Amino acid sequence: MVPTRRFGVRGRVTVGFGLLALGLSALLSGLAWTLVTRTMVSQTEQTALVETALDRSEVENALSTGAAGLPAVLEGVPGTDSAAVLAQVDGRWYATSPSLGPTSLPTELVSMVNGGQEATQRIRVDGTLHLAVGLPLTGGRGGYFEVYSLSEMQRTARVLSLGLVAAAVVTVLMGLGVGRFASRLALRPLTELNRVAADVAAGRLSARLDADGDPDLEKLAGSFNQTVEDLQRHVIADARFAVDVSHELRTPMTTMLNSMQVIQNRRDQLPESVREPVELLADELERFRALVVDLLEISRHDAGDQVVRETVRVGDLVRRAADAAAGRVVTSIDPAVSGLMMEVDKRRLERVVANLVGNAETHGGGCTGVRVEPGEHGLRIVVDDTGPGIAPGRRARVFERFARGGSSERTGVGLGLAIVERHVALHDGHVHVEESPGGGARFVVELPTSAS
Amino acid sequence: MSESNFRTGFTSRCDTGEVTRRVLLVEDDPRVRRVLRLALEDEGYHVSEAATGEQGLADLRAEEPDVVLLDVMLPDTDGFSVCREIRHRSNVPVIMVTARSDSHDVVAGLEAGADDYVTKPLVAKELSARIRALLRRVEPAVDQRPRRPVMGDLSIGLDDGVVLRDGEPVALTRTEFRLLAELAVAEGRILSREDLLDKVWGYGYFGDSRIVDVHIRRLRTKVERDPASPRHVVTARGLGYRLAG
Repeated sequence: MVPTRRFGVRGRVTVGFGLLALGLSALLSGLAWTLVTRTMVSQTEQTALVETALDRSEVENALSTGAAGLPAVLEGVPGTDSAAVLAQVDGRWYATSPSLGPTSLPTELVSMVNGGQEATQRIRVDGTLHLAVGLPLTGGRGGYFEVYSLSEMQRTARVLSLGLVAAAVVTVLMGLGVGRFASRLALRPLTELNRVAADVAAGRLSARLDADGDPDLEKLAGSFNQTVEDLQRHVIADARFAVDVSHELRTPMTTMLNSMQVIQNRRDQLPESVREPVELLADELERFRALVVDLLEISRHDAGDQVVRETVRVGDLVRRAADAAAGRVVTSIDPAVSGLMMEVDKRRLERVVANLVGNAETHGGGCTGVRVEPGEHGLRIVVDDTGPGIAPGRRARVFERFARGGSSERTGVGLGLAIVERHVALHDGHVHVEESPGGGARFVVELPTSAS
Repeated sequence: MSESNFRTGFTSRCDTGEVTRRVLLVEDDPRVRRVLRLALEDEGYHVSEAATGEQGLADLRAEEPDVVLLDVMLPDTDGFSVCREIRHRSNVPVIMVTARSDSHDVVAGLEAGADDYVTKPLVAKELSARIRALLRRVEPAVDQRPRRPVMGDLSIGLDDGVVLRDGEPVALTRTEFRLLAELAVAEGRILSREDLLDKVWGYGYFGDSRIVDVHIRRLRTKVERDPASPRHVVTARGLGYRLAG
């Protein structure tokens, strides 16, 4: 099975058609070859027999007057295209060709003729094929033999065989061509399926397979489309749910936040005993707000919102966002990229930087530095922290929603990094986490300069 | 544009800064209205409420607010058409309240003539910062610069807020005027979108530069002969905008 795996379906169909054509043409050529050569041989033998019989009667006529004139008669056998004429009369051999003596004749042939039977046999003389024909002479005086060259027939056979091989080659080539065409035709739905499936995988859930009214494909197209439809419905429903929940939370949120603000404006009027609970409430409310904002951010991303690109000096953007998020200067910019202008969604990129720095501050023991440097395909943003780091096995999972980075006592809900991953992906970049030289976690964002 | 429209908000009441600012709150959800009124009043504003677009437009005439807070989703009509209607009648600053900052709503609201936008859930303190920024005056001159710079056919009265093109007054909203004034004060230097966001809208760095672009576009339709190929408000690609003669 391994070798066939190397070919695709198209290759296999093409080769299959080629082999089929080869088999068919070999069969037909073989058949034609056998029939034609057989017919040619039997016709040649018939002709030779008739001719030899005619010549024998002349020889017998001459013999009736005595054996003395036999050599001259043999020389003068009229109208023969035979290579040699031989006769054995009363135990004595007469031959016209010095190269083709009695020894050239097979002994079975001679003995059959001497036994009174007609005989033909193909023999090889000087490497070429000949037909030896032997007829008994009347009165049991011996035998009359003629040897015919079969080189003409051989040449014809060779031409025929060449023709047949050529025809076979053409047939095989045509078979390959038809196979290729047929496979392409037959695989067109597969190609289409491939394209649509890739579309769906890339997130364009509205892509559908068109059966073009083909009854064989309608079923496949139907079930494929049904699957995508279900998927799309689920994705939309999920995204909708999150959006709806967050929307519903907005009004109570507005009420709570603003009421809390009024209360806090009057903090000094509050009795000492309720100040602490009010502070706790305010903190929790702020966290709640951040969660709802994050939830909205990620759910509207699922619902497929637009990216607003504009040209900015990325280094400046990162510096401002990072320093603002850390509340101190943490950013250093490689001079090679300090003036780099890129087309980015400003809001999203600010969010990426702010979330990474925020994550380092709250979960990573503090951000030790943000570096902007040349990357593989453009720009690299590196955020280091001093925390315990993230175990290699958990590194891919930190970007999942509501994932926690490392130790169980880490607080905070992990939507921030999920947002980072999605926003970076929207810029055709990618983000990963590794160990920083200081021992903490290092988040690396790679952004291509030529984003699509 | 009627003569009554030709105000850039430089009324005595707005100038003093001690007088209570009047906010018209157009919002259909009574719970949101109630708490925002409470919190805004706590911040020192006088708040009048309207539950529908129609009522909001009626109140605009009756209450003469300093700023309108307009929800995108209203029961009778959408906030955009209310905003357009407000723009036909008045140059009062309008802050649009949207659900999402990256949606079409933002651009649609700005295109309809809104000066700024805020996203839900809104907090009165942040709202107050936005209102203060919108009602801020152009910085007074430190030196004795002429306060009416002239750029070609354009004459910009930095102190009285009157902009003339070929001697004819041009009707600008307060925000459009401040945008033009900041560019004029920069004397031809390029101001980045972030600079303008900071100076006119008080956003610091982290603002939505679409606000700048939409206002620049609208400003051009008023001060340029051919807004498609502007001669005064010139784009410096990738850098920002500057004012030319």
